[in-house]
Amino acid sequence: MRTLTHAGGAGFKPALSWMAALIVLTMFLSACNRAQVFHREAYVFGTRVDVAVYGDEPERADVAMAAVLREFDRMHRAYHAWEPSELTALNAALAQGETLEVSAELAAMLRDAQQMAAQGDGLFDPALGAVIELWGFHTDTFEPKRPDAHQLAALIEQAPRISQLLIEGQRVSSTNPAVRLDLGGYAKGYALDRAANILRDQGIHHALINIGGNVLALGDKGGRPWRIGIQHPRQPVPLATMPLYDGEAIGTSGDYQRYFELDGVRYAHIIDPRSGEPAHGTQALTVLVTSRPRVGTLSDAASKPAYLAGEEWRDQTRHFAIDHALRVAGDGRVEVTRALRARLEFPQPVAFKVVD
Amino acid sequence: MGAGWRELLRPGDWAVVALGAALCIYAGMGLWTAGAPDGVIVRAGGKVFAEADLAAARRIEVPGPLGLTLIEIEPGRARVASDPGPRQYCVRQGWLDRAGAVAICAPNEVSLVLTGRGNDYDSLGY
Repeated sequence: MRTLTHAGGAGFKPALSWMAALIVLTMFLSACNRAQVFHREAYVFGTRVDVAVYGDEPERADVAMAAVLREFDRMHRAYHAWEPSELTALNAALAQGETLEVSAELAAMLRDAQQMAAQGDGLFDPALGAVIELWGFHTDTFEPKRPDAHQLAALIEQAPRISQLLIEGQRVSSTNPAVRLDLGGYAKGYALDRAANILRDQGIHHALINIGGNVLALGDKGGRPWRIGIQHPRQPVPLATMPLYDGEAIGTSGDYQRYFELDGVRYAHIIDPRSGEPAHGTQALTVLVTSRPRVGTLSDAASKPAYLAGEEWRDQTRHFAIDHALRVAGDGRVEVTRALRARLEFPQPVAFKVVD
Repeated sequence: MGAGWRELLRPGDWAVVALGAALCIYAGMGLWTAGAPDGVIVRAGGKVFAEADLAAARRIEVPGPLGLTLIEIEPGRARVASDPGPRQYCVRQGWLDRAGAVAICAPNEVSLVLTGRGNDYDSLGY
């Protein structure tokens, strides 16, 4: 204390003024930092949708998020795979060998889906609606059972493929009546891109859109990047976390979101078109798509062939020019590309192998 | 200029600075106990239905389009105890005990999220 009374005046002046400056700066920052994250949650496409907007105008965020959810509702009704929709109408026509004129949007989506299927060596094919139904994934009720073996074999013999669609303008027909379209694995990603466009049109530049675990980021959170957790396929915790930058999207195909277990075997809803069986070699396959056109669509569609490819997953991600990917193999081994590894943080220690 | 101002600081001043720094580190360590959840948010149909801390055992019945989803809370953890949905994924997830963990009962439109400081991400990819 004696020291303070002795030299306090001179010694503390600089420290005090520093402190005062700091306090003023803090007050200034907190005054202008009214921005926060606004959330909207809804249930569409049979899954949870979460839209988050970062900003300081709640009304504007609200209007924009409502517009996004309205668009999702429209798409849900238009492209439902088994409740009456434009898509089921097309499926009915294709089964009869007829041609149907569809919306310009659906025609464009089908052309795009054809191209993506080709890019993934046909490993994931949106024409397998009938097979997915046989496996019991086209109902709101649920019964864990294998499909009738004869029916399944007959369908696989017919080999429905999206490449058998003929799309002329908006007129769609098929050379194979067994083609039944199911846009699961495509439509959610497409909806991410639609949402990003709607938000940008509404002047929202900082947002995070999550449709059933596929996430697209716009901007950031007040200068800090949005952060994403990647769900562990077998535990209720994130396996890793990472930043997702402006214009990027992440998507996961896994055996833990839609599946059933029978006699100790897990049957997931992503079906291998060659066998008609759910793939077994992979628990989860996550791709991060860096900023590019149709980033949302790619985050959904590009994880499927890699998921189905088993140990050859890395080749499939290369077909889509994707360098950020992570796979949890059927036996729990974790493999991650070098580029994605650089971004990941692991909340708990995880043994993993880095691949190029 | 140079180091002139440092000469004006006395040993007692340095002690205050050291104490302040120690306090910061101690507070930081205490507040960043990663992963421990401090509460739950239950949403029904997208709207917040209940918010609760994880201090005491509690059960929350959440109505949805298919019926009642039952959320069970115990000190430090929470789970979906029962749900009318057909596939039961949210029930099979079992107890959630980390901040940021999520259970989603999509058919009944109920979600359970654990909040807390260890939750250093904005959204979950799955």
